[in-house]
Amino acid sequence: MRFLEDIIVKFGSVDRRVIFVLIGLAVLVPLLNPIDLAIRPTPSSQRVYDAVDSIPDNSNVLISFDYGPSTRPEIHPMTLGIMRHILSQDRGHKIYITCLWPDGLYMAKDALKIINEEYDLVEHEDYVLLGFRPGNEAIVKGLASDLRKVFTVDAAQTPISEIPMMEGINNLNDFQFMFTGSAGYPGTFEWVQYGADPTGVPLSSGTTSIQVNEVMPYVQSGQLKGILAGMPGAAEYEKLIDTPGIAIQGMAAQSYGHVVIVLFIILGNLAYFITERRERKY
Amino acid sequence: MSFSTILGAWIAAFLTLGIFSYLYKDNPFYKIAEHVFVGVSAAYWAATFYWTQIYPNLFGRLFAVDSPFASMYVIDKGHEYNGLYFFPLLLGIMMLLSVFKQINWMARWGIAYTVGIAAGLKAFGYLSSNVISQIKSTAVELFSGELSFFAMSGDSIFNNIVIFIGTISALMYFYFSREQSGAYGRFTRLGVYFLMISFGASFGFAVMGRISLLIGRFNDLILFSNPSYNYGTFWMLGLIIVVLGYWSFQNPERTEG
Repeated sequence: MRFLEDIIVKFGSVDRRVIFVLIGLAVLVPLLNPIDLAIRPTPSSQRVYDAVDSIPDNSNVLISFDYGPSTRPEIHPMTLGIMRHILSQDRGHKIYITCLWPDGLYMAKDALKIINEEYDLVEHEDYVLLGFRPGNEAIVKGLASDLRKVFTVDAAQTPISEIPMMEGINNLNDFQFMFTGSAGYPGTFEWVQYGADPTGVPLSSGTTSIQVNEVMPYVQSGQLKGILAGMPGAAEYEKLIDTPGIAIQGMAAQSYGHVVIVLFIILGNLAYFITERRERKY
Repeated sequence: MSFSTILGAWIAAFLTLGIFSYLYKDNPFYKIAEHVFVGVSAAYWAATFYWTQIYPNLFGRLFAVDSPFASMYVIDKGHEYNGLYFFPLLLGIMMLLSVFKQINWMARWGIAYTVGIAAGLKAFGYLSSNVISQIKSTAVELFSGELSFFAMSGDSIFNNIVIFIGTISALMYFYFSREQSGAYGRFTRLGVYFLMISFGASFGFAVMGRISLLIGRFNDLILFSNPSYNYGTFWMLGLIIVVLGYWSFQNPERTEG
């Protein structure tokens, strides 16, 4: 027993760099040798899927890219999944893209590049990239009251009045569904408070894991139609639309990384209590 | 693959590994990556804000095709002339005056205006979406014949009781006008447990988020280690290890963790 306790105490005081290396390996190895893990959609991801599925035919869908390269691994698979789902059944939906983050513009361009390789889309007929406008919640409020005051040109500087699919689009009430891929401020909170709540347009969100706890009350109250929670949420959505992508590939790495962290949390706590007990004893 | 793409991949691999090298200890590679990140971000934000907001939405209105200055200079971004926009221009200039000690008081006007607008906007959003809607969603039915007793998620009598007790006990914990002892103290203690569960979930999600970001960087590093990128990751990794080893050898006092 004493021998076992000594080992635990040694693990508890291991150099932090050893832990970094172990976590790195736990994440890297499954990425090099992909392992299939069972993925079961959670009710909140299922709600997003159902919300997208229930959009009436020939609808206008607004997707906001409110994230940058730093949170790309979590949010990008979600926005790609949503776009694929919207376009997959050829139901005549039109996609309008906005960005509350300056680097969201490049995330949107990257997503459109990938989507354009899979679907035969025509710019300004099937989708329009309205682009980025600084102003955070003021922009969402502006879109809710008069979109044409916020966007007079799209991201390619084409006047809104010359874009066919912008005809009849004056504010958020002209959309049948909204989705925000959100990594923080501005993002989901602002879209709920200034976009969805005042207009009543259904809104779903894909967020970084760190935001989930704060956003979940909006799902509970029905202000958000489901939430894709971090990389697991993205993987669940990929599973729901039956299009495996980088999120599903990353789930094994995610799981093994967690196992190592949990293991060290347990060992660290055990080592703390053993050391405390020994100090008390002597 | 074009030279610029390969060069970009090599730079990305170098900067990623440079940031990772901080896990060993603070070092010149980390400093380079950190400073490049801050510098590029600041420049990128400044340029983006100017070309997406100030140029089209401010100057686009002040120098519109129908403006009195049209004979001198025109910016056609689909706006009509609006002289009121000289006001935000003036406030913006006043904010920049904070760098001059003699007249830096002028900056307060612009800051006060911005803070006032932000406070007004936030108050509206919070009141309607957070306060009223959240209070409504917490007012749940506790004993309804239509609800099942237990469900893993969504409405059920059990879940509603948990929401009710959790909300009340956590709120009571922050009521400091009464000593938290006896039955009342035990109830507020329950509130603390609810808060701790919430903090634990937040910590778990935070770890999950960080692992996701690590997966993203590893995915890129794996991609850049391909022959099509001329094994960029391996070259950069080798360079950083060799130089970092030499640097640590030359500065032994700095290598102690």
